[in-house]
Amino acid sequence: MSLYPNYPLRTERLTLRPFTRGDVDAVFAYRRREDVARYLFDTSLSREECALAVQQRIGQVALEAEGDKIILGVELADSGVLIGEVSLIWRSVEARQGEVGWIFDPDYQGRGYATEAANAMLDLAFGPGDIHRVSARCDVRNESSWRLMERLGMRREAHFREHAIFKSRWDEEFIYAILWQEWQTLRAAQTPS
Amino acid sequence: MSSLSLPIETDRLILRTFERSDIDGLGAYHALPSVQRYVFTRTRDTSEVAGALNTMRSHVSLQRPGDTLTLAMVRKGDKVLIGHVSLHWSDATAGQGEVRFCINPAYAGQGFSREALSAVYDLAFDHYRIHRVFARCDGRNHHSIKLMQQMGMRLEAHYREHALFQGEWDEELHFAILDREWQRSSKVKDLPVRHRVA
Repeated sequence: MSLYPNYPLRTERLTLRPFTRGDVDAVFAYRRREDVARYLFDTSLSREECALAVQQRIGQVALEAEGDKIILGVELADSGVLIGEVSLIWRSVEARQGEVGWIFDPDYQGRGYATEAANAMLDLAFGPGDIHRVSARCDVRNESSWRLMERLGMRREAHFREHAIFKSRWDEEFIYAILWQEWQTLRAAQTPS
Repeated sequence: MSSLSLPIETDRLILRTFERSDIDGLGAYHALPSVQRYVFTRTRDTSEVAGALNTMRSHVSLQRPGDTLTLAMVRKGDKVLIGHVSLHWSDATAGQGEVRFCINPAYAGQGFSREALSAVYDLAFDHYRIHRVFARCDGRNHHSIKLMQQMGMRLEAHYREHALFQGEWDEELHFAILDREWQRSSKVKDLPVRHRVA
């Protein structure tokens, strides 16, 4: 089932919307940082690379075929400041598998924005997206990322050790996942009757 | 890397590459439903065994990533083919290898798979210099799970409903062991040091 969400998606404090050409400087403000790039496949980005990344993201707004991505800019609803991005990748059409990811500006950490935005992506995946299982992965040392996965109600399914090379060193990786029925139970408990 | 020396001899087994004449021995177990229950590439009936044998006969060495070495487990003495083990070189840069195994249920439960796998792990780590050996199995495949634990492997992943397998939601386990964690068989340890250092 293809997915063409109506934008923007709104949460209590945030607006999730497609990227536009005007986002380059805001993206550069955090993607230039070494601490943001440490656990990403990319290194820290130049302004030109950010322009290219934003250009790619402008078209990543719907799921039509396996491998497609939705990548949305996350804005503070009050001020309109761009503080990061969240993504949903369609990993398998037949088995209805999705993967979520995120990159946030560390200056805005610790206020629950990432949790709020990521939860909106889970709702998108399991609701209109008709996804059966959503996974997420991160480097074992990226504690803020796997703590977020646990806050989202995801379970740790894999802990791979030295299974690959990441940035010239042995990689150690966590994979977390949540099933549709687990998400349902979670939301039912969170909704006051 | 020195050239691969086959066959490999263990206490009770000879491990060698497959031959044309193995068709009857392979046919005795390979298409059995209990053997086929959890395999990735299915051999549905005896007419497909010849094709499976042809594939396995081509798995004679690991020259480049993506290659597979498949060895027949032949019992010493009566020379009966009782199963097979394979080592797949999945990644060269990170030195990753995957093992798979299959045994004729008539010979299961006597430690033959464990004996064969031990020899294959020695081969993977000492001969092919693989860094990490992993194995995958279905969450319901208790024989494989027990064997992986006996081999000293660590459960690294337990996926639930992450894919469809034979028309059902799949539950898959990944076990793995690193080069430095593998306990070499006593025979290898007894070798003089100069033989162990490449």
